[in-house]
Amino acid sequence: MNTTSPLERVLRGIAITLVILFFMFPIFWIVLMSFQTNATILQVPPSIFFEPTLQNYRGLITGQLVTDTSSLEIKFMGNLFNSLFLSTTSVAVGLVLGVPAAYAFARLKFRGSEDIAFTLLSFRFAPPLLVLLPLTIYFQQLGLANTYGGLIWVYQLIVLPLILWIVRGYFEDIPADIEYAYRIAGHRWWTTFRKIALPLAGPGIAAAALLAFIFAWNNFIFALVLASADKQPVTVGALAFITASGVQYGQIAAGIILSIAPTFALALYAQRYLVEGLSLGAVKG
Amino acid sequence: MTVLLKLAGVDKFYGPIGQGVHAVQNIDMDVMKGEIIALLGSSGCGKTSTLRMIAGFEETSRGTISLAGREVQTLPPVRRNVAMAFEGYSLYPTVTVGENIAFALKAAKLPAAEVDAKVKEVTEMLEITDILHRYPTSVSGGQQQRASLARALIRDADLHLLDEPMGQLEPQLRTLLRGRIKHYIKERGLTAILVTHDQTEANALADRIAVMEGGVLQQFATPQTIKEAPANLFTGTFVGEPPMNVFSAQASDGGGQLQLDLGDGVHLNYASDAFAPEVRATLLARKDIMLGVRPYAVQRDTAGAEAQVIANQWLGDQSHIAATFARGTIVLVEHDRADVAVGDAIRVRLAPEDLHVFDKDTGAALSHGTHLA
Amino acid sequence: MTLALENIVKAFKKDVVLDGVSLSVDSGETLVLFGPSGAGKTVLLRLIAGVIEPDEGTITIQGRDMDGVEPEDRGIGMAFQNFALFPHMDATQNIAAPLTARNMSKSAITETVNRIARMLKIEHVLHHKPKELSNGQKQRTALARALAGEPDILLLDDPLRNVDAKLRFEMRLELPRLLKDQNATVIYVTQDYKEAMALGDRIAVMNAHGIEQTGTPSEIYLAPANIEIARLFGDPVINLLDVIPEQTEGGMRITLSGVPVPIDGGYGEVAGRACIVGIRPEALRFVAEGTADAIPLTIETETPLNEKTVTLGLTKNGREIMVSRPAGTPGPAEGTGFIAIDATHVHLFDRATGNRIVPTERHTARSQGAA
Repeated sequence: MNTTSPLERVLRGIAITLVILFFMFPIFWIVLMSFQTNATILQVPPSIFFEPTLQNYRGLITGQLVTDTSSLEIKFMGNLFNSLFLSTTSVAVGLVLGVPAAYAFARLKFRGSEDIAFTLLSFRFAPPLLVLLPLTIYFQQLGLANTYGGLIWVYQLIVLPLILWIVRGYFEDIPADIEYAYRIAGHRWWTTFRKIALPLAGPGIAAAALLAFIFAWNNFIFALVLASADKQPVTVGALAFITASGVQYGQIAAGIILSIAPTFALALYAQRYLVEGLSLGAVKG
Repeated sequence: MTVLLKLAGVDKFYGPIGQGVHAVQNIDMDVMKGEIIALLGSSGCGKTSTLRMIAGFEETSRGTISLAGREVQTLPPVRRNVAMAFEGYSLYPTVTVGENIAFALKAAKLPAAEVDAKVKEVTEMLEITDILHRYPTSVSGGQQQRASLARALIRDADLHLLDEPMGQLEPQLRTLLRGRIKHYIKERGLTAILVTHDQTEANALADRIAVMEGGVLQQFATPQTIKEAPANLFTGTFVGEPPMNVFSAQASDGGGQLQLDLGDGVHLNYASDAFAPEVRATLLARKDIMLGVRPYAVQRDTAGAEAQVIANQWLGDQSHIAATFARGTIVLVEHDRADVAVGDAIRVRLAPEDLHVFDKDTGAALSHGTHLA
Repeated sequence: MTLALENIVKAFKKDVVLDGVSLSVDSGETLVLFGPSGAGKTVLLRLIAGVIEPDEGTITIQGRDMDGVEPEDRGIGMAFQNFALFPHMDATQNIAAPLTARNMSKSAITETVNRIARMLKIEHVLHHKPKELSNGQKQRTALARALAGEPDILLLDDPLRNVDAKLRFEMRLELPRLLKDQNATVIYVTQDYKEAMALGDRIAVMNAHGIEQTGTPSEIYLAPANIEIARLFGDPVINLLDVIPEQTEGGMRITLSGVPVPIDGGYGEVAGRACIVGIRPEALRFVAEGTADAIPLTIETETPLNEKTVTLGLTKNGREIMVSRPAGTPGPAEGTGFIAIDATHVHLFDRATGNRIVPTERHTARSQGAA
């Protein structure tokens, strides 16, 4: 029944290779671009043989953007730091607020709980532009414009619903009996939350945090409007590569590589933890 | 009696033959026409795989299956002429229970009157006449299972396959329905194979039981034979409730008497002629043995060895007594209400004709009663 | 009295699960809560545990009203049907859960866990996580966890449900001693009448209407309050036949298959009333043909059942009768058999209400103690 002929296996292998090639090619190409000068990038026809150069990376790290005609100062490393700081802090704040809330929504059925949970999720539906203008005015009046605090606050719009809804699902998957058993054994609900619910929802929380981190990292519009140069993350900072004298493809490619590196590393690190999954085997007989 | 179904060297591998999981190992089995066979074992023993190979839902990795004189292992299920009741009910959800049951008969273009008569008969037997117009999802699990059973039994097939047919049944109905189903099958001369993990069900229904474990057929015999002459320790302890008492023992020659030392100061002495000479010789040669005795065979006897009662449980028509004995616990079944209390000392006798002796390492039976296995 | 429930009402949305249930359990007693699924047994246990709250009624433990008392403050231990082990902790940590809650020293905890593990024969798997344990070991670990805190009240929710038949039998024999050693008041929920009779000092029979009868195993088996309870206890199930008793010169009698069967003299006014007679299969026995007042039975089939042989037969009127006898004793396997009825084991039920008609002049076996 499950036996496959060798031919079938070969064909399947080819198909998988094609799919992988199709999806991985842009990334592969960008990696190549990041080691080329604009001149080699733009040559026709393109070639995958070229003399590699580190000038793009050097430029980004030193902050000196050297073009054919001039030398321009950019703050890419500052942007990278901003991205890291904003995303990490936003996710941290999101977890502190969202995980207990998710637990409450999962375990306590209070009046309007479904409505509140849904309202929080609906923040994700609204286009950010809708709220940006009033938000900008408020922020200016409150003195929050162009502060990390203000940005982190706005980022909760992205991070919080995500964490809330993903983590809530994981909490709901933990059989209530397991928590009851710990309570009956003599532990307070707070201890039960820390010792039972949190560890068991751990993989879910990690997944939610990772996803929230990526969403926060990729955000463009909030930061574009609400932050000026010294608070901008890479998504906004990358605009600087479109210079008067042309688009700096090499630097853009290197910038992309540098800016996906943290999320990529994080995903790789978390993967094995995520795949482990919930081990609730003890509950089912 | 003619052989209806013949399994010869049947193997099931999940994965490549010879490398994958060897779920069913080299099974040979003859089923006579008109017989009820139970495939008995715990989950993962290969019983369901065997049934599904017979039905055709599972490919036969190796070996042949002959049904009614033709080899069927490569035929699709519909061309094998078998009826099957599934463990998961599997009624068609879009039609009523009654239509489910009549489905195969209507498909075979039987006259309506005949279909109705057959449906009436089988549903009365299974006490589901009142749910014929309801839909499967609106009836209880036990009723669905009975409907599934009815749908299989009503068919005119060479072979009826019943997968855990009574697992969900209401306990009050179980014994009655077992009796009726057995009567129904026998009266019509049907041949049935049922798969079950419940040895009580196997004993109640089957003419012969195939005990399986680890993909291997351990014993294929009548319930009586399995009870009186289990092929090995596994079969002995798996079939029978309460389960067989088992003790490790050392046999020695105690001045003409055969002495069995069960440990903890319990020595059982048997007269030199209590066992056939070859049994005696075997026991003395093996020395270390496993001793089995069925709970109902343990006798209370003032000349017996002492045991301390730890439980006496009356179940209405039976008493189950447990007592610490030798290095373990011995269980007795009595059919009257036993007048012993926890903490009492009782004396038990293990008569030579009730002893089952097994090899300590392989578990294979060496002797049953006074004779070699 | 250790535990008392008074007029407990509990509904989930509009579904009323418990409607005015009262129950009291004595100190050190094992009370079995027996009944089919859906009767609300588990809900009742959870109410006692305090993980859900009653809509109405009071629960008192050791004389203290439990209203508003958190589960961790009630001094109870509980074993769940699905075990509910903590999957991220090994067996030791699971068992130690009630002990870590009380600031016990590490060495004292280890000692207690080891003692209980030894008692339940799981000391060799103490460092295993739940998913590495067999079902039987999980069940024992869950039981060990419930016992470890030496609770005053032990709630056991069908703990043997998910273990195999052999282990269930072993545990059934072992449990009473274990529970008595703990000296705890036990409420034991089960759907298996054998477990109920074997383990209960008293049994409370519960169905969708609430608790229908409470009594010792003897009282329940020998004097069931109604047909439903009579049917729930005993395997094979009690034989039930429609009859109308008649008063004759020889006393009250019923007629089965044209054969008069005398019944107990204690039934005063039942003559002419529509009744159902209940005869347990083991109260019937096969007799030789020609025995006076023997009832002929067409034998349909014979099915062995755990050291008993159950014969299914038809009376002359086509009514089904099951006869049970010890395995190995003689009886007909086919053809016609003749049965005699042990009149002291005949129950009479009112056909309209289903309630048992209690004979007035007879002493039932109610004074006998529990098994």
